[in-house]
Amino acid sequence: MSFFDLKGTLKPLTALKQFGKKPHTIEYPKVKKEAADRYRGFHFNDLEACIGCGNCSTICQNAAIDMIHIEGIEGINGDSGLRPRIDHGRCCWCALCVEVCPTGSLSLTKDYLYVSDDPDSFLWVPGIDNPEGKNNLSFTSDEQSLNDFKRISMPELEGMERVKSFAEVVLGYNEEQAREEASRCISCGLCTEACPEHMHIPEYINAIATGNDKDALRIIYDNNPLPEMCGKVCTRRCEDVCAIAVRGEPVAIRWLKRYATETAISSDITREIVNPVIKEPNGKKVGIVGAGPSGLTAGYYLALRGYDVTIYESNAKAGGATMYGIPKYRFPIESLDKQIEYIEKIGVKIHYNTTVGKDITFDKIYKESDVVFMGVGFPKAWTLGIDGEDAKGSMQAVNYLHEINDGEEVEIGNKVAVIGGGNVAIDAARVSKRYGADVTILYRRRVQDMPADWEEIEGAEDEGIHIVPQAIPIKVIADKNGKVTGIEYLMAEMVPDERGGRPKPVAIEGSNKVLEITALMGAIGQQADYSFIEGTEYEGKIKVERGRIVVNEDQQTSDPKVFAGGDAVNRTADAISAIADGFRACKAIDKYLIEK
Amino acid sequence: MNDIKAKLTEHIKANFPGAAEKDFKGENRIDFSIDKEFIPSVLTYLKNTAGFIHLSHITCVDWLEEGEFEMIFIIWSPTDKLKVFIRTRIDREKAVMPNIDMIWRQANTYEREFREMFGIQFIGLKGAKDFLLEDWEGPPPMRRDFDTAAYAKDAFFERPGREDALDVREEIIKRSREEIPGFAKKYSR
Repeated sequence: MSFFDLKGTLKPLTALKQFGKKPHTIEYPKVKKEAADRYRGFHFNDLEACIGCGNCSTICQNAAIDMIHIEGIEGINGDSGLRPRIDHGRCCWCALCVEVCPTGSLSLTKDYLYVSDDPDSFLWVPGIDNPEGKNNLSFTSDEQSLNDFKRISMPELEGMERVKSFAEVVLGYNEEQAREEASRCISCGLCTEACPEHMHIPEYINAIATGNDKDALRIIYDNNPLPEMCGKVCTRRCEDVCAIAVRGEPVAIRWLKRYATETAISSDITREIVNPVIKEPNGKKVGIVGAGPSGLTAGYYLALRGYDVTIYESNAKAGGATMYGIPKYRFPIESLDKQIEYIEKIGVKIHYNTTVGKDITFDKIYKESDVVFMGVGFPKAWTLGIDGEDAKGSMQAVNYLHEINDGEEVEIGNKVAVIGGGNVAIDAARVSKRYGADVTILYRRRVQDMPADWEEIEGAEDEGIHIVPQAIPIKVIADKNGKVTGIEYLMAEMVPDERGGRPKPVAIEGSNKVLEITALMGAIGQQADYSFIEGTEYEGKIKVERGRIVVNEDQQTSDPKVFAGGDAVNRTADAISAIADGFRACKAIDKYLIEK
Repeated sequence: MNDIKAKLTEHIKANFPGAAEKDFKGENRIDFSIDKEFIPSVLTYLKNTAGFIHLSHITCVDWLEEGEFEMIFIIWSPTDKLKVFIRTRIDREKAVMPNIDMIWRQANTYEREFREMFGIQFIGLKGAKDFLLEDWEGPPPMRRDFDTAAYAKDAFFERPGREDALDVREEIIKRSREEIPGFAKKYSR
């Protein structure tokens, strides 16, 4: 061994290669080690996104989740107002609650360390007691969820095929499709609050899912005597608040109701399945003006309670706006007939072609009955209020639909313009298209502002109907015989509303355009026709404000013996609200006559 | 790779009657279903002759509606970099399987777990009766018809302080004054 050992001197210097590298030992100051991304720790709930459906609480096999009221969170339409509280002493971190959460608000965090000798401190509300969890998520249902977000698509006729006839466009689910679609429902029941009639939606959907179609129909008939109509043309506000709709397509509640009602192919079979209890006649008489949805509903449930019900209808068929306002490719006449037949078999008497105020006086009905229900609707159209509107070939869309549904022929030529953006406008356009006309819809606002059902708008576009948005009609042009030949309109720009309402269309000067047409249809809204009480003592007794009959929450008018419902009363003006009015009135009338 | 796969497939089909190949769109995997009687012999062949020396996993699927259990053995060849799935269906009521712990000793642990969690008996299996559960008397808990919620309800006491829990459906009924007929209630959540 030499005195100078080069190797022994330099070797320790090799340790310098570690210089600047991260040490393997514990660092100072100590850095907290983060858990792996897949680690399942405590829950976090995004309270804003949560709608309180309670699916987490239902799925939890350890019963660790309670739904409770939280101060400051109010229940509104589409939100139960409840939020989950978790007993972490029971939780086994299986995360089923996360996987079934329809909104994706519930997740697990990486935070798993918690030590306490107080067992009660393990009971807390995720999101409120651990707000910091938001930035520390591990297991979420973003990528995969146990919910089925995709709706079973509804078989329907192809666009260019449908315009050839009035055949029903929507073909309906078959049994397998219905069961599969019904299985997507999580039975939270948020929808029942959105439904004006509060139908028992989760119950009948569950009955369909488990293969009990008859029970489903019985549940449906519990508070809706026109379910097939609703199954086809309801405005379905239930689907807007469906928990599944937050991240996917809502459960097809309307189509499932349609499926259940179509399993009973005749009114006799409906009666056999529903098998309602009809009480002994109690000798009390109820007169109903108008056989629309509200009148029929009140009539049906009053008849079940033993009342002697007579409905007076001015038209040749019952159904009101659902008969005369809805085109037959959406709601076939056989389907309505079946339901009316069933209602008549229960004991409701309907006098057709009997206009109150002409064929029979209101006074007579009032004096003969113990109670009168008015479901008179909005039969009269608002006119456009522009020059030349009374030209030949200029008509109201609602009258046009009425005449077509009555089986009459209406001369419209081959170029039709429809003014308006509601369902009546779209219906009139699609009917005109089926009579071979080229149809243009003029609407003052944008397409997304149209009050019509989006499915109807899409349907119209599929069928080749031209929609011109932001168009304000100013003048109807007629030839020397007084026959309409064109419509002049201005283009509009959308101006934000200063008061926070929806944007307003403002006409652009000089943007005049003329559309050549052979017929013009106005569809800008309807109003009531109270001529049957005008000039009688009842005009003062039954209070009417801004065109609507004033009622209390029991549908009772200012005359205690008179109840009212339907379009002439409520602001929503759809069939299901009318049914709700009729049902509420039935209960109130029952109470009123028993107490009397 | 495809060569090896084809040769192996051919051999298994020729020697083990009833072996059915299952389609799988992966590169390094073949998949067979086979009668349970042939399980020990096919595994012995694959381990001793074909080089599948590694037992990756054994698992079980409860096909409740069909009244069957499906046992799946996953084995791996480090030389060929190939995975083989061997599946077999057995009757759920009389769940008996041949024992394979003489082929891979570690299978013993899996088999004791299946015995406890699914109630599957392995012929001649030795080892303590209890695996994870202590003094378990009830039905095997991994079977799909085992009601976990009911078990949890029986086994654990209710913590005081949770009485304010509400039912979502009832809360909405109360708010909208909906009246559900009695016969419909069985369909509620």
